[in-house]
Amino acid sequence: MSSYSAMQERKGKGVLYKFISYIPLLLLTVIIVIPVGWAFTASIKENAEFYGSPWALPKGVYLQNFADSWLKANMGDYMLNSVLVTAMSIALLLAIALPAAYVLARYRFRGNVLWNTMFMAGLFINVNYIVVPIFLMLNEGDKLSRTFFGQPILLNNMVVLALVYAAMALPFTIYLLAGYFKSLSKEYEEAAAVDGAGHFRTMIQVIMPMARPAIITIILFNFLSFWNEYIISMTLLTKPEFKTLPVGLMNLMAAQKSAVEYGQLYAGLVIVMLPTLLIYILVQKKLTQGMTMGGLKG
Amino acid sequence: MKKMVCLALAVMMAFTLAACGSSNESNKQNNAAGTGASSGETRTLKFAALETAYGKAIWEEVAAAFEKQVPNVKVDMTIEKNIEDVIGPSMKSGEFPDVIHLAVGQPKGLTETFVKDNNMTELTDVLSMTIPGEEGKVGEKIIPGFVDTTITNPYNDGKTYLMPMFYSPTGLFYNAGLFEQKGWDVPATWDEMWTLGDQAKAEGIALFAYPTTGYFDSFFYALLNEVGGPEFFTKAMNYTEGIWQSGEAGQAFDIISKLAAYTEKTVPANGNKDNFTKNQQLILDNKALFMPNGTWVVNEMGNAPRAEGFQWGFTALPAVTDGGDRYSYTFFEQIWVPAKAENADLAKQFIAYLYSDEAAQIFAKSGAVQPISGMSDKLDGDNKLFYSIYDQGAKAAMGAFVSTAPVEGVNISDTVFGSIDSLVTGAKTRQDWVEAITKASDALRSAQ
Amino acid sequence: MPSTSGRSRFIFFCLAPAVVLFVVFLFIPSIDVFRMSLYKWGGYTDTKTFVGLNNFSKLFQSEKFYQVFQNSILLIVVVTIITFALALLFAALLSRGKLKGTNGYRVVFYIPNILSVVVISAIFSAIYDPSNGLLNSILQLFRVIDEPVLWLGDQKIVIYSLAGAMIWQAVGYYMVMYMASMANIPESLYESANLEGASPAHQFFTITIPLIWTNIRTTLTFFIISTINMSFLFVTAMTSGGPDGATEVFLSYMYKEAYTNSSYGYGMAIGVVVFLFSFALAGILNAVTKRDHLEY
Repeated sequence: MSSYSAMQERKGKGVLYKFISYIPLLLLTVIIVIPVGWAFTASIKENAEFYGSPWALPKGVYLQNFADSWLKANMGDYMLNSVLVTAMSIALLLAIALPAAYVLARYRFRGNVLWNTMFMAGLFINVNYIVVPIFLMLNEGDKLSRTFFGQPILLNNMVVLALVYAAMALPFTIYLLAGYFKSLSKEYEEAAAVDGAGHFRTMIQVIMPMARPAIITIILFNFLSFWNEYIISMTLLTKPEFKTLPVGLMNLMAAQKSAVEYGQLYAGLVIVMLPTLLIYILVQKKLTQGMTMGGLKG
Repeated sequence: MKKMVCLALAVMMAFTLAACGSSNESNKQNNAAGTGASSGETRTLKFAALETAYGKAIWEEVAAAFEKQVPNVKVDMTIEKNIEDVIGPSMKSGEFPDVIHLAVGQPKGLTETFVKDNNMTELTDVLSMTIPGEEGKVGEKIIPGFVDTTITNPYNDGKTYLMPMFYSPTGLFYNAGLFEQKGWDVPATWDEMWTLGDQAKAEGIALFAYPTTGYFDSFFYALLNEVGGPEFFTKAMNYTEGIWQSGEAGQAFDIISKLAAYTEKTVPANGNKDNFTKNQQLILDNKALFMPNGTWVVNEMGNAPRAEGFQWGFTALPAVTDGGDRYSYTFFEQIWVPAKAENADLAKQFIAYLYSDEAAQIFAKSGAVQPISGMSDKLDGDNKLFYSIYDQGAKAAMGAFVSTAPVEGVNISDTVFGSIDSLVTGAKTRQDWVEAITKASDALRSAQ
Repeated sequence: MPSTSGRSRFIFFCLAPAVVLFVVFLFIPSIDVFRMSLYKWGGYTDTKTFVGLNNFSKLFQSEKFYQVFQNSILLIVVVTIITFALALLFAALLSRGKLKGTNGYRVVFYIPNILSVVVISAIFSAIYDPSNGLLNSILQLFRVIDEPVLWLGDQKIVIYSLAGAMIWQAVGYYMVMYMASMANIPESLYESANLEGASPAHQFFTITIPLIWTNIRTTLTFFIISTINMSFLFVTAMTSGGPDGATEVFLSYMYKEAYTNSSYGYGMAIGVVVFLFSFALAGILNAVTKRDHLEY
C-alpha cells in the first residue's frame, strides 16, 4: 500500500518535472528559430524595405536578390571553390588523422607520450595568430619553386589550403578519435590477431567500422569549420577567382562608402548557411545512431 | 631547417598535388611569353584600386584609353572592395603592384603603413611630366594647394609621394526641406548652433549625429583651422609640444564636448562599419539635424526611404566667432607607387595620364572629380551645390596627422576620434580625452 | 604474431603524415610567432630589427593592453560559466527527461553552431538595434525599460551583449558533446537510483555529473581556447572593437597592432602572451578539477 502511494506520488512529480522541463526547451527554441527565420525573410526583401523596422515581414518574395548574389556577386563560383576545398580537406584529414589516432591510442611505443603531448599542446595553437607565419613560410617555398619549376605552386593552390585546414583540425580530431579508440576493448585486436590479420588489416577491417559514429562526428564538425573559415582562406588564396564563400560574403559586406545592397547581402548569407543547414539535417540522424551505438560498448 | 621543410614540401607537392591551380598558371605564362616575342615588348602595368561608390567601370575605361594612348602597354587591374586584404598578403611576399589607388584613413591603414616604412617611390617629378596626349604638364593642371599638404608630402621635406585624386568637400549634411518647413536658419556660428540645438530638442530632434567616429577626422581638422588658422593646424598635425594645452585647442575640445552632449543617444551603438548607415538614416528620418559627411553619402543613401520633402543640404562648419572663418575640409583620395614597384617609370606615366582631359572626362561621368582646375564648373545636380561650397566663402582645409615611424600601442586616430563615442555615452570626460591625446601626441613626436 | 619490425613500420607509416603536417603547419609557425615577437618590423619591408624583450616591456606598461586583457577575461568567464550551465542543463533534459520531440530540440539547438559568425553578427545587429530591435521592443512592451538600451553602444553593456551572441552560438555545440557522453552512462544506474526514489535533480548531481566528469574537464579547456578565438571573430564582425575600445579583445588588438599600426613584432608579442596565458589558465583549471576517474 505505502509503496503504491509512493509510486503514485512519484508519477505525479514526474508529470510536473516534465511540464517544467518543456519551458526552457521551448524558450530556447524560440530564441534560436526567430533570429534564423529572420535572416531567411530578410533575404527576400527589397533593398528599400531594410530601412524600416527589421522585424517587418517582407512585402513580397523578391528572388532577384538570389540571382544577383549568385551571378553578379559571383557567389556561385565561390560556392564551387568552397565545395572543393572542404571536400579535399575532409578527405585529407581523415586519411591522416585516423591511422595516427589509432596508433596513438592503442599502441605502446617510444615517442607515444611525446606525440600525445604534442598533439594535446596543439589544441592551444590558435589558428588566427599563425596564419601570417604560415603565409610567409609558403611564400619562401614559392620563391624556391620559382627557381626550380619557374612558377609559384604553394600560394593560390587549393590543395595547399586543404592541407593547412587538415593540419589545423588535426589536434582536435586526433584528440577526439584517440579518446574513442581508447574506450574500445582490447579483445577486438586479440581476436583479429588470432584470425591471423596483420596490423593494417586489423585497423581497416576491424577498428574503423566500429569508429563510424566518431568519424561521422568528425566529418560534421570539420565540415562546418572548414566551410565557415575565412581568415586562412583569405590569406592563402589571394587571387579573386579562388575566393571561398565566406570570403565572398565578407566582400559583399565590405560596403564602406559604396552603395549598400542589403538584399544581395542577406541572400548571400542564406547561400552560405543553406548547405550547412541541409547537410546538418541529413547527417544529424546518423549522428543520433552513432550516439546510441556508442552506448553499446560499456 | 625551415628552408629544408619548405623544399621538401615543394617537391612533394610538385609530384603529387600540383595538378590543381598551377596548370592555368603555366598556360598564362606561355601566352605572355609568346606575345612578348612577337610584338617586341609588351609591358604589363599592375594596377590596384579600392572599389568605391564610383564603381569599377571608370577604371576599366580609363585603362583602355591609356592602352590606346601608350602602345605596347597592358594594364592588369585588381579592383576590390577589400583591396587591402587582397593585395596585402602578396605584398608581404614581395609581389607589389606598380600603382595603388588607395587613400589614407582606410580600416587597415595600408597606405599609412607604406608611409611609415618609407616604402614609396617619390613622385615629385610627375608634376613636371608632360601629360600623355597633351601639351601641358601635370603640375600646371592640379589646383594649387593639393600637392603641398601633409598627406601628399608626408615627410615635410617638400617632396611629393602621394598624388591627389578624387576630391570632395566635406562638412555638415542636413535636411534642407526640414529647415524650410520649420523656418529655421542654418547656423553660421557655433553659438547659433547651440540655440538651434535647444530649439530642436524641444521638438524631439537631436542636433547632431555621426556615422562613425572616423568621420570626425575631417570635422576635427576643419575645426582646428577655424580656431587657430592654418599655421596652428600644421603645428597640431606635427604634434608640436604643448599644442593641446593651448587656448585654441581648448576651444575646439569645448565645442566637440558640447556637441557630444547634443548627439543623438543611439549613435555610438551603430557607429561601426556594418551599421553606420543607420546613423545616417537619422538625418533622413528627421531624428537628427546635422551629420559630418562627404558627398558620397548621397549615393550611399540613394535607396533609403526619407521624410517627406527631404532635400540634401550641405554647409561648412559654423564659425567660432561672428564673422570668423568657416572651413570645409577637403577629402581627397590618393594614388601612389610602392618603392619596390617593378615598372615605376610606367606607373608615373600612367598617373600623369590620369590628369588628362580624356581621363578626367571619364571619371567625372561617374561623379569622381579630380583636383583639376576648372573641373568643378562642369558639374551638375547635387554635385554642383556641394562643390560650390568654396565659392560661397568657406575656406578649404587639407592635410592630416603626420605619419611617423610606428609607435607600438599608440594610434592617434583612435585616441582623438575613437574616444568621441565615450564622450557621448559619458564613459570618458573631456579631461580624460585631452590627457590621452597629449600622451599619444608626445609619444609620436619623439618618433618623428 | 606479426613481427616487431612490421609493428614499428606500421606505427611509423600511421604516424608520419600527421607528424609532418603538424610540424610544418602548426609547430614551425608557432615558433615563428615567438621568434618575431623579439623583432621590430613594419610588415612590408626587409628591415627587421632585433629588440629583445622590448616589445613585452612596452606591452606590460600599456594601459590599453590592460583594458584588452580585462575584456578578454570577462568574456572567458561569463561565456564559459553560462554556456557550461545551459549546455549541461539542456543535455540532461534531453538525455534523461524522456520528453517528446527530443531529437527535434537537439536539431534546433545545434543550428546556431553551424552558422557563420558573419551571419550571426548580422542577425544580432538587428536584435540589438537600439530603436527598432527585437530586444528593446519586447522590453518596452513589458515596461521593463523606458529608455532604449544601447546594447552595442554603452561601454558597460556591450561586452555582455557580445557574450550573449557567443553563448547563443555555443550552447548547442557543448550540449551535443555532453549528450554524447551522457549516452554512454548505463541505464541500469538510473534504474536503481529510481528504485531508491532519488529525484532527477539528485540523479543529475550524483550520477550524471561524476560520470561525464572527464568530458567536462576537457570541454573547460575548449571553452578557454574557443572563447579567445570566437571573441575575435565576433568582435571583428559586430563591433570592430568599439565603442572606443570597449570590446577590444586579445586577437583583435593583436591584429590592430600588427597590421594597422605597422607593429608586427609587437603584435606577435601579444600573440605570445595570449598563448602562454591560455596555456596556464587551462593548466590551472585542469589541476583544480582533477578527480578520481570513475568507472561505469
